[in-house]
Amino acid sequence: MKKAPFLKSYTIFYLLFLYFPIILLPIFAFNDSKVVAFPLQGLTTAWFGEMAADQNLRNAAKNSLFIALSVATLSTILGVFAARASVRYRFPGKAPIMGLIMLPLVLPEMIIAMALLVVLLSLGVQLSLFTVIIGQVLITTPFAVAILTSAFQSLDRSLEEAAMDLGETPLSTFRLIVLPLVMPGIMASFLICFTISFDEFIISNFLGAGQPILSVYIFGQFRFPAKVPSMLALGTVLVLFSIILLGVAEYFRRRGIAKAGGKESGGFL
Amino acid sequence: MTFSDDRPTMIEFKDVHKYYGDYHALRGINGTIKAGEFFSLLGPSGCGKTTLLRTIAGFEGISSGVIMIDGKDMVSVPANSRPTNMVFQSYAIFPHMTVEENVGFGLRKDPRSKDEKAKAVDEALQMVGLKGFGKRAAHALSGGQRQRVALARGLILKPKVLLLDEPLSALDKKMREHNRRPATKKVANFIGTMNFVPATILSEDGDKVEVEAKGLGRVMLDIAQAPEKAGEEPVVGLRPETLTLLYDDQKASERETDGVIDEVIYFGDMTYYDVYLGGTDVEVRLSMRNVPGRPVLDVGTKVRVAWSPSALVLFR
Repeated sequence: MKKAPFLKSYTIFYLLFLYFPIILLPIFAFNDSKVVAFPLQGLTTAWFGEMAADQNLRNAAKNSLFIALSVATLSTILGVFAARASVRYRFPGKAPIMGLIMLPLVLPEMIIAMALLVVLLSLGVQLSLFTVIIGQVLITTPFAVAILTSAFQSLDRSLEEAAMDLGETPLSTFRLIVLPLVMPGIMASFLICFTISFDEFIISNFLGAGQPILSVYIFGQFRFPAKVPSMLALGTVLVLFSIILLGVAEYFRRRGIAKAGGKESGGFL
Repeated sequence: MTFSDDRPTMIEFKDVHKYYGDYHALRGINGTIKAGEFFSLLGPSGCGKTTLLRTIAGFEGISSGVIMIDGKDMVSVPANSRPTNMVFQSYAIFPHMTVEENVGFGLRKDPRSKDEKAKAVDEALQMVGLKGFGKRAAHALSGGQRQRVALARGLILKPKVLLLDEPLSALDKKMREHNRRPATKKVANFIGTMNFVPATILSEDGDKVEVEAKGLGRVMLDIAQAPEKAGEEPVVGLRPETLTLLYDDQKASERETDGVIDEVIYFGDMTYYDVYLGGTDVEVRLSMRNVPGRPVLDVGTKVRVAWSPSALVLFR
């Protein structure tokens, strides 16, 4: 191996840039001071207590969880339909249809949010958590389609034919053969959509009708210096939550691969 | 095409055509296959063997004509209701199931008791020589074992018609050649061996050896290509894959020699040619990958063979 001191320091700098702010989060969350600054003042768990006692925050967390679970479920189901159709069938206008499905991936979210707001209001739809879910499904579905398309693509078509040959209907073939084999992709899609939805801000803010939603709530609380430490405590909890989620996902993904005897397929997580 | 005995007809084709868009894949297939008959479809790749199998199994519809199985027109019978079972070229073993779950898959709707089904699975596994493999994960099997699982999975349903797509592909190439052709010395010696061409050493000067190889002509070899003397008649060795047939106006990048094809052995993805070199009785074997647009040549064709002096080894 040739030595490349520049690449090494570049990597270290890059990782520091990425993770240093996140490391500060738990440090100040346990710091016994209302001011977020060094030197540290001593250890306390008071901010976590304050966070847990905040009724508004608990409502916001509950709403966000509800939204994220709904969004992940809906967009993964829609993603399964779209991915299956695009991988398996040929139909007129397939390329433009798939292109339009994937477009929200690059469309500024701001524009989607504004357009949806105008349409929903002119239709006389009352803004609520459900309008947030609709908007977020629009932006997470392309991610689900992208992940699931690769899952369906790696499926050998003759497996389905073999199941039909052995007497199964198309529906039972899907349930017994296709679904178990694309399950790792479905899990990955669900988790990605869940994560994107959970910290999504623009649509939550535009279409949320002032309902407490975690990302919007955190943004609002940050204006009050006294609230900052308890928000850092919340951030710490969320980071921990993400790591656990990722660990669980990775565990299931590896188990799925090992079970199917497949080769490591990279994947999103 | 058929036996003349009076066994009942199992499959009957009447003027079967199949188009893929503009491509005419099956062009008027007619004929019958009798019950109990062992019927093989042979032909170069792309000639429609698999397509015909798939129309029998019901995975592909036909554009016109009639396919009858056991006296019934199959036109409106879907694949899952046909009395056929297929062993796929890729075997299509369900990777998320054990061997016995694979073999017993077709028994899911069978009204027999669980024990009876388990017994049927065991018998099927025994028949293909995989007794005791039932609990293994299907993906942990070798290619040949997978094929046997696929066979057991099809046979357990006692189909009227068993379809095998490229059933010899699992056997390794040495095995296939062994099974398909009588084991003459020539063939038996081939796999993993070299072509040997008689040679005369003309001069040896430091790190250069000049030889006259029969059929190839004079070649200057590096001393690294000439291992220690072993007291043998000098021969030049060259591997089949280092020789290439030149088509049309292709030019050899190094040396080329005229030859005549003596034998053609077709392998699907590869074709082996035995070629007499330059009007001599020296024969070499070479292998060519089969690619679209490159025809397989016939015995007796005059060809040009490209070779590289650096690929030669002198044994002496």
